[in-house]
Amino acid sequence: MLFVFVVAMNACTTDDLEPSTEQNKAVEGGIASSENLYGVLKGAYSRMTESGYYGRDYIINNEVRSDNCFSNGNSGRFTTQAGFNYSANTGYFWDEAYEVIASANIVIGVNAEDLTGSQDYIKHMQGQAYVMRALVHFDLVKQYGQQHAGGTLGVPYVTEYKGDNLYPARNTVAECENFIMQDLATGFGLMSTSQDPSNEFITKYAAKAIESSVAVYFGDWAAAIAAAEAVMNNTDYDIIPAGGFVSSFASDVASNSIFELAFSSTDNRGINGLAYIYRTTGGGSYGDVQVIDDVINLYEVGDVRADILGYEGIMLRNIGKFPDNQGYDNVGVIRYEEVVLNYAEALFRTGDEANALIQINSITSNRGASAYSSPLTADDFLLERRKEFIFEGKRFEDLVRFGKNITKEYLQQNFSETIPYGDYRIAYPITQAEIDANSNIVQNTGY
Amino acid sequence: MKKMIGLFVCLFLIGMQIVNAQSKQISGTVTSAEDGLGMPGVSVVIKGTTIGASTDIDGKYSLEAQASDVLMFSFVGMITQEITVGDQSVINVVLESESIGVDEVIVTGYTSHRKSEVTGSAVQVDGETLADMPVPNVEQALQGRIAGVNISAASGTPGSEQKIRIRGRSSITAGNEPLYVIDGVPVISGSVSSSTATSSLSAMAALNSNDIETITVLKDATATAAYGARGANGVIVITTKSGKSGKANINFSATYGISNDAVDGPTMLTGAQREELFYESLMNSFDLSSQAEARSFYEANPSSFGTDYVSWNAAGRPETDWADLITNDNAIMQEYNLSATGGKDGIKYYVSGGYLKQEATVIGSELERFTGSVNLDFDISPKLKFSTKNSASHMFQDGLLEGSAYFSSPRASKFFMPSIDQAYNADGTLNYETTSLPNPLFIAQNDIDQQRFTRIITNNSLTWQTPIENLTFTTKMSIDYQVFNMKTYDNPLRGDGDGETAGRGEVANRNRANYVFQNIVNYQLSLDGGHEFDFKAIQEYEERRRYFMYAAGDNFSDVGLTNLNSAGNPTDATADYTDEVQASYLGLIHYAYQGKYVADVTYRREGSSKFHPDHRWGNFWAIGGAWNINREDFMANYDFIDMLKFRASYGKSGNNNIDINQYQALLFYDSNYGGEGASYPGTFGNNGLAWETSYSLDLGLDFGLFNNRFSGSIGYYSRETQDMLLRVPLSLTQGHPNRNENIGRMENKGWEFEFNVDVVRSNDFNVSVSGNVATNKNEILELALDTNGDERNITSTTTRVETGHPVYGWYMPTWAGVDPDTGSELWYVDGVGSETTDNFNDANQVWQGGSAIPELTAGLNLHVDYKGFFLDASAFYAGGHKIYEQWHRYTNGTDVFSTLYYQGVNTLMDRWQKPGDTGTRFGKFEYTGRPWQRHSKFLYDGDFIRLRDLSVGYDFQKNITDAIGIGGLRVFVRGTNLLTWVKDDNLKYDPEVDTDGFTGMETPAAKSFIFGVNVKF
Repeated sequence: MLFVFVVAMNACTTDDLEPSTEQNKAVEGGIASSENLYGVLKGAYSRMTESGYYGRDYIINNEVRSDNCFSNGNSGRFTTQAGFNYSANTGYFWDEAYEVIASANIVIGVNAEDLTGSQDYIKHMQGQAYVMRALVHFDLVKQYGQQHAGGTLGVPYVTEYKGDNLYPARNTVAECENFIMQDLATGFGLMSTSQDPSNEFITKYAAKAIESSVAVYFGDWAAAIAAAEAVMNNTDYDIIPAGGFVSSFASDVASNSIFELAFSSTDNRGINGLAYIYRTTGGGSYGDVQVIDDVINLYEVGDVRADILGYEGIMLRNIGKFPDNQGYDNVGVIRYEEVVLNYAEALFRTGDEANALIQINSITSNRGASAYSSPLTADDFLLERRKEFIFEGKRFEDLVRFGKNITKEYLQQNFSETIPYGDYRIAYPITQAEIDANSNIVQNTGY
Repeated sequence: MKKMIGLFVCLFLIGMQIVNAQSKQISGTVTSAEDGLGMPGVSVVIKGTTIGASTDIDGKYSLEAQASDVLMFSFVGMITQEITVGDQSVINVVLESESIGVDEVIVTGYTSHRKSEVTGSAVQVDGETLADMPVPNVEQALQGRIAGVNISAASGTPGSEQKIRIRGRSSITAGNEPLYVIDGVPVISGSVSSSTATSSLSAMAALNSNDIETITVLKDATATAAYGARGANGVIVITTKSGKSGKANINFSATYGISNDAVDGPTMLTGAQREELFYESLMNSFDLSSQAEARSFYEANPSSFGTDYVSWNAAGRPETDWADLITNDNAIMQEYNLSATGGKDGIKYYVSGGYLKQEATVIGSELERFTGSVNLDFDISPKLKFSTKNSASHMFQDGLLEGSAYFSSPRASKFFMPSIDQAYNADGTLNYETTSLPNPLFIAQNDIDQQRFTRIITNNSLTWQTPIENLTFTTKMSIDYQVFNMKTYDNPLRGDGDGETAGRGEVANRNRANYVFQNIVNYQLSLDGGHEFDFKAIQEYEERRRYFMYAAGDNFSDVGLTNLNSAGNPTDATADYTDEVQASYLGLIHYAYQGKYVADVTYRREGSSKFHPDHRWGNFWAIGGAWNINREDFMANYDFIDMLKFRASYGKSGNNNIDINQYQALLFYDSNYGGEGASYPGTFGNNGLAWETSYSLDLGLDFGLFNNRFSGSIGYYSRETQDMLLRVPLSLTQGHPNRNENIGRMENKGWEFEFNVDVVRSNDFNVSVSGNVATNKNEILELALDTNGDERNITSTTTRVETGHPVYGWYMPTWAGVDPDTGSELWYVDGVGSETTDNFNDANQVWQGGSAIPELTAGLNLHVDYKGFFLDASAFYAGGHKIYEQWHRYTNGTDVFSTLYYQGVNTLMDRWQKPGDTGTRFGKFEYTGRPWQRHSKFLYDGDFIRLRDLSVGYDFQKNITDAIGIGGLRVFVRGTNLLTWVKDDNLKYDPEVDTDGFTGMETPAAKSFIFGVNVKF
């Protein structure tokens, strides 16, 4: 009983009501060393691996809205996206993307000199955060920007965590492009190759590789050439040879990998991952995203890339990419072949067909496919990109970048008729939660 | 105050030494005025002390007292008598029965008062009403019995959480659950499950309703004022049984019965219907002219359409009724309780043990519960009384994955599994390989979803009658200790753990300790002229500690080994610790003048660790008054009025029911990347975060007429919630979906009526009818604004939070029927009356009227007894709300979802087939997969009436029980949820849905028949 009184009498001040936070630290003061900063940076990468983003949806949405895949509705997933039936309530990666940006902005926002630890290391991490911020905004612009839907609005380019403007309006696509290129340059400048960790993190020349893709997307061919050459001249990445092509997807950090996101047996998206949606093999899976029958005719005899395909019963499937059923495979963001094809296309677009041929054929020659010959057309690049990157989440963005309609060619495709280039559905609707919270945001036309 | 308490402790030690003056032996007999027989168990206490005795089986008592002492004779339901000892040595007393329900003692937690002295809105239900209900959760027994209290069971799985709303919903994003108080101490309630995927398990289900003496529901500010800080959602005060002096009373009860689903739910398509609709969808989409042509087209394109119907036809078109297969017909329920109470020589005891086992009405699920309690009152000395209440219980729930629409849930199989899939192979073995979803019969046998919950509550108090007259000091310590275990296992052959996963298992373990310390000083003062004061000062400290562990693994070494020990690949392990602290000071003044005028003033200051140090403390108060008009002289001539009381109260109460640590901007570290730990900003933080407050006005008139044959009350309440703890949506561009702010105002108001009529009142024949009606109107008055001055609403595809409307009111496009020419579904562009469109995305969301919270609720109870036979019936009604049919995209789709991938309801047959078809419920079938399109077609009137309880029984007459040599014998049969009437024909699901208003795939409420026996020794 004495105990009762003692406890009761000693426990009545405001200080005694302080909650313990054994799992967490305050943001303020929680980042005091380079190691603390490294934790936040890893948190940003981890957010990129969410199901809504590179963990699944970003990749799948670019495949099911194309002539590669459709949704068979096995679990009811992705029929809406594949049918271009989405609305502001459908949900996509708006929230996940900006969560990555928030984490990146915390890393960028710290004053390196206030932290203990190597200044070079801290700057290198801040460089990664700049590149990450650029990459994520780039992904957002590609999906939500109006550049292919008859408008000029991009997305809000957010550069501060808990900054002055908590309710930003949308920047234009041109402004976004500028910010992205600036961040890539800043990031590149802050990083040094001696600090580069594994390719599961953004490295100095990954910044250039991403820059080549951004430049190609916006048609800044000179910048694309410069960035691609910077990668080719300063790194020793390889085009994966034909014999190793299929197996390269089953191993992490292959010799062509420039930047990939880490997934493992203890850190994966499980049933909400890529393998579960692409296949039913191995059991338990959703298997909604099936390959359109005609894709079997995409590859000529001898092209090793056809070995990615396979059948489950009568269903054509992606068997070779993200092959581990439980989602233990890393997910590639950019690999060397993309830089090569960026380079080839930029050369072609600037009139250097001879060198363009050399570059594009460096891919085909490593795939068991026949070489391209003059005259090259723009569509050759679209086709080669389709063959090379099939199921990796690039097809939809490539189609609209090349100004193509999304044609209804097959019974299996979920949409009822061809989506013409410029249609409002090419730009994804801004999520309703954003519209509700932030009246500065203008919704995309048509939603 | 702290120092004062210390002083009291010292004083009390000295006080114990004081010896009483001379006393003598008093004895006598207490008899009942009704039948003149001796009354056992009557409490005889010396007024102002805890010294006393109770009468034996013949009504005899004896005790020692002084000539100046006053003896108080009291018994439940009888008018208490006080007699001064004087020079008497034999005191015989005749007790008269009190008119039940009129001036009973209402227990409100820290205090208890006669009903005539209660200034607030508090309704008490006796334990007798609650016992023997065939439900594990005592709250379920309250449904329909108290005006303004609405109880929703999200699931009929035994042990599931019950959600209670008292006078509507007072908060938008903070909790709306009432505070539970057991024996004066706030306790943890709600579901203890660590997963939302499996069945919920209520912490309150651990309580045996047979151990409960009374439950009081506190509704208004003055009634809840003592718990002011957390009383905004109402308070449920549970008092467990205490020992009664006298010879031991032993009570044994046993019930045994069966239960089935109270409502059958939707009927699904047969395989033949499903096939017909599928071919029809091909006809409509590909311009085919007949079913035969569609069938050929289907069979010619197997890579697009699959071959399900080809196989089915080849197998001879066998139909499977999955709804029937997953049902556990006549689920068995049984409960046994044994208790004993009695006392002598200053010790009173109540001990009990109970066992309950209930199967769910769905296969593979049941609840088992063991309970025990030991409650002792012990007079250490004439001035010092020790009371301890201890209960322990253990529950085991074999649950199911009913939380959403998991394919491995048997309940989901009913709605999703095609009727053309076969449950059994030709050789009679279970077909677990080829069903399109995991075969529920196989899953029920091979998967595990178990929860175990052990709860120990010990509540100890010491009351000291200080040397100062009428000043008592009580100190109380209570520990509520809970151990929760969860285990799941997904078999490696089929379902969530099949394929390369090779079996998956999870375990979780949570320990919770909730400590409460109270020090109470009570002083009663009577002044000349009829002024009665009751002062109380209370100090309370509460700390909740929670430790949680979780681990998971896959790749099990062999089939049939289900513990993580056999998992070859550990995939997850985590543990965390959190705590929460509350401290408060409370002052209560109760004043009564000649029983006519009553006033209550209450003040509570409480600090909570959930808020920033600068805003941690909140001040809460209430004032209440009552006027017993019938005791005025001018009413003397109105003999037929036994009670007429006007009461009014106003006060401020609070709510802190949000997640912990929300005011702090924190980095969370439960993330990882590349095999290393990682951190991220987990909360946005808000240094200004403070208590949510509610201001309530309560007015009431309580009456009893014609010798209390007609009694009841009329009440009005109005409660405005201010500075709401609102999860204000943030721009997602900032990396956080929302943050908690104190913003906004919301109002709840309504009327409440309760009545009781004793139609026939006599010695051996009684008929009474009682009932209640309550209204609730909810409106949001103010919300957060953004920088442009626009209101920040919280909008979903079906609901919206906006000023001028009820919270989470239904908000969706309005369905406009089916176009007779094209068969397309139509919607109004801007609600009824506007033009229609067949493009769903062009149809704007509009208010549909109402929300998920009933605007009108009512209960009706009937009691009849005749020479030992009795009949009790109770029914309740809820209405004025709407219910939305969840999962209709799958089950009500006029597309591939219902005809090719999953399964549809049979009402789909009422569809458009050709131009000119009018008034069909569904448009034309098409070969497509439509997106989620939530609209008013699937929003139904929620009104329903349910015959909650019907029991018939017989109490054996005393001459028979005497002959057998027992104290009493009762046999009864009881039916629960026997009848349900639903207003809206389209609402096929059980109308008792979760408070969010969505139908689900949970186990529906059960319809039960039980047989019971009660024996008293």
